[in-house]
Amino acid sequence: MGKTLYLMNSGELRRRGDTLCIVRELEKPRFLPVESTDEILAFGEIDFNKNLLEFLTQKQIIIHFFNYYGYYMGTFYPREHLNAGAVILAQAAHYMDPVRRQAIASAFIGGAIENMKKVAGYYKRRAALEVDDILSDLDSFAETASKTGDIASLMGIEGNARNRYYQFFDRLNTDPDFQMVTRTRRPPSNRMNALISFLNSMCYVLAISQIYRTYLDPRIGFLHETNFRSFSLNLDIAEIFKPILVDRTIFSLVNKRMIQEKHFEKQSGGGIYLNEKGREIVLRAWEERIKETIELPQLKRKVSYRGLVRMEAYKIQKHILEGEKYVPFVSRW
Amino acid sequence: MFVLMFYDVGEKRVAKVLKTARRYLTWIQNSVLEGDLTPAQLEALKIDVKKVIDEKYDSVLLYVWRVERYMQRDSLGVERGTTDYMV
Repeated sequence: MGKTLYLMNSGELRRRGDTLCIVRELEKPRFLPVESTDEILAFGEIDFNKNLLEFLTQKQIIIHFFNYYGYYMGTFYPREHLNAGAVILAQAAHYMDPVRRQAIASAFIGGAIENMKKVAGYYKRRAALEVDDILSDLDSFAETASKTGDIASLMGIEGNARNRYYQFFDRLNTDPDFQMVTRTRRPPSNRMNALISFLNSMCYVLAISQIYRTYLDPRIGFLHETNFRSFSLNLDIAEIFKPILVDRTIFSLVNKRMIQEKHFEKQSGGGIYLNEKGREIVLRAWEERIKETIELPQLKRKVSYRGLVRMEAYKIQKHILEGEKYVPFVSRW
Repeated sequence: MFVLMFYDVGEKRVAKVLKTARRYLTWIQNSVLEGDLTPAQLEALKIDVKKVIDEKYDSVLLYVWRVERYMQRDSLGVERGTTDYMV
């Protein structure tokens, strides 16, 4: 699995000497190995030309763009290098058929809730936290989700479960600087919400990058409506991983006091965002987290969390093509 | 796999070897590069380097570790190149 390049500062990204190169004023040009790069996340003001985009397409490197506040702007998704009409047809057929679509959608929700329970349960053991009320509510949400037939109410259950689960954040973390109170988005109203929003978008682009390496079409999601937004399958897959990747990273950052009040700034519109320094700390912790490997008993080898997201895509592919029932990944602890 | 590459080649071919190696590895100091490669990428690197060197005269060494963890890396003086992926 290739590397992820995080472009934090402004500069020119270009093709030079048949590889990637960052050119900045008063600095020596810095060459980067193109053959072992999989994706680029651009945060700084990056100048580039079409020649670079051609090069990225040829090397199958995906690039995600973020604005000044770290808000996701879009993706340069190079021409599909893995093309199979059969997969697209199967994916669309599963989307069009309410019964088959519901089967996949509720698997996503089941997996998401199961992983929320794992995270809350982990801190129940570790921090002797009182979370039984939340756990039992999550159980009943999972129960209703498995019986619900229509997608709109599934999405509703998802939202309710997540809101209930978010109540555990303020119980675990009593630091007044990082109270969430309620989940707010667009714009995030406080530091905890800013962290969640920022890392959630990292989880979404992680899923896009991994879907790009499979035959699946990221535009056709099952839980999230396929409409005129560009990608939605990535949102489905990210749903499963958000508790174990995003939330665990947040707790570790806040509990170890790696991220602090000084790493945030207020935008004129009223939202709170990570500043440059804060963003770097969070991204380094994120990269560490998704690079971490765990032993998979069924494979008898270690897989990184990033690789696990790819495997999730493969499992969906198998489900729609070969009818091998999709079972979402659930963390063991 | 973690790869360290050293090259000692005729003056004419120094730039060519560097240019080839930089597509796979990160420049550390003159004639030395390092990086993480898959077995396939390592083979591709070898093939590409062979195309530009004079096998009767030049010498290129590749040290390969299964994982970087087993390698200790001490550094004295100036670090000329960095492998940090957050730039």
